[in-house]
Amino acid sequence: MITFDNVSKRYADGREALSGISFEIGKGEMVFVTGHSGAGKSTLLKLILAMEKPSTGQVLVNGVNVSRISKRKIAMHRRQIGAVFQDHQLLYDRSVFDNVALPLEICGYQPSEARRRVRAALDKVGLLNKERSYPEALSGGEQQRVGIARAVVNRPSIILADEPTGNLDPELSAEVMAVFEQFKNVGVSLLVASHDKSLIERLNYRTLVLDNGRLTQDAMPDTWT
Amino acid sequence: MSGRRQATSRKNSSRGAGANTKSTKTSGKLLQVHRRTAHSSLLRLLKTPASSLMTTFVIAVSLLLPALLFSLNSNLSLVLAEFQDSVQISLYLDDGLSKDEGLQVSNDLLSDTNVATAVYISRAQALAEFSASTGFADLIQELDTNPLPAAIVVTPSSNSPDAVDALVRRLQDLPAVNLVQLDSRWLQRLSAISSLLGLMGQVLSVIVVLGLFFVVGNTIRLAIENRKDEIRVIKLVGGTDTFIARPFLYTGLFFGLAGGILACILQGIVLIIFNSGLRELMRLYDSNFALSGLNPLDAALLILVGGAVGWLAALLASFRHIAAINP
Repeated sequence: MITFDNVSKRYADGREALSGISFEIGKGEMVFVTGHSGAGKSTLLKLILAMEKPSTGQVLVNGVNVSRISKRKIAMHRRQIGAVFQDHQLLYDRSVFDNVALPLEICGYQPSEARRRVRAALDKVGLLNKERSYPEALSGGEQQRVGIARAVVNRPSIILADEPTGNLDPELSAEVMAVFEQFKNVGVSLLVASHDKSLIERLNYRTLVLDNGRLTQDAMPDTWT
Repeated sequence: MSGRRQATSRKNSSRGAGANTKSTKTSGKLLQVHRRTAHSSLLRLLKTPASSLMTTFVIAVSLLLPALLFSLNSNLSLVLAEFQDSVQISLYLDDGLSKDEGLQVSNDLLSDTNVATAVYISRAQALAEFSASTGFADLIQELDTNPLPAAIVVTPSSNSPDAVDALVRRLQDLPAVNLVQLDSRWLQRLSAISSLLGLMGQVLSVIVVLGLFFVVGNTIRLAIENRKDEIRVIKLVGGTDTFIARPFLYTGLFFGLAGGILACILQGIVLIIFNSGLRELMRLYDSNFALSGLNPLDAALLILVGGAVGWLAALLASFRHIAAINP
């Protein structure tokens, strides 16, 4: 589903965020990516979302070279990816319901079908009772979960999550992870950036460790050297 | 807490249900999407009534200027058409010509395709008409000889100034004709003023349309700037530029249509004011002439032009500015 082939990313200011990264994530695989802040986790996700282009190397998503996608097709590319952002990226002048409905609205879903799906997604993250609230009235953790509901509402084939449990207490973190695992079980590929070491070790999925833009580990936490 | 857990366990069963709805997209659905977008664009405009009204007013005033010129001109054309039906050329004949010869000249003129009618008036007839219309009958009877020449009154078949001029020149060359009188110089001047007004209207229209492009384009640019964060998020979750632009296109369309409607109303008000002033003037001329306003077709055209310009300006502005926003 996702292939990085010797990818480097150097920003205009000369900082090298990623250097010579290669890995592959298959269908129905859940992979963590971890590392200190500034190690290149966010850059990795941005490359997959076509928010940035690699300086060298190739990023393939579903067999398509992301850096070659025309501007017009970037939107279609992003529709197959559900992304959870560290800073939530919610629309503050729309209700929780409308925020989660946004990907469906973009795809032109019937309101009745959209309503059903939005409710199901909000239910999954435990926010069904907040659908009429506005994001500003929610706590950081609740906003985070609205972002997760929005990421999964369109049943994407890939889910990217940047620190999805950053604002959540352990119990909620476990629930969010349970939601992610359900998606994994039906064939969705997930890439989760997190620096929650205990969570990563407890769940024991394949984990990519980045250090100053270099991939230093690509294995299960319990086999780390 | 247990409710939440229940919810998560329900999720798998709800998964496959909507799988085939994606393929049932129809054009009716697109229509629905447009209706919803139009509705929310309108609501957004109504949320800021003061600034929406201001923009609408600017558009209306811009449309009003050429619309007024056009309607003044069409009023003038109406007046001209009325008078042009009565363009007459008087040919005064040589005194040496007999009545039969005069009639012969008159009949010959009728075979000219540029002449619609030619009526011979003998010297005696002219004198009779003159004394009847002036009341100088007594005075004329004192005269030994009839001072008036015989005349032929010609109505040209074409009223265009060029055709009339050409006819006049030809008639002057006739040997039997002493003098040709065309009393329509003022008509030609008025006609020239009318075409000048028409030209001014056209030039002003072009300038106004260009101005409207800037007004609407700038309004849309600001609206996009205000919603930059929102646009960024929509792009991140896979919204196309077309999807993002759609509400802005409706905004432009609504501004244009509203501006057109307001321009029609303002035009009506201006004409009412003009007419109240004109009534005084026309009373002096014993006329009840009044400027007529836009007919329904012209009004519809004005509104339509407003809408089209608004939409097109929004189209140009939105795609340019939306493409520049990158998440």
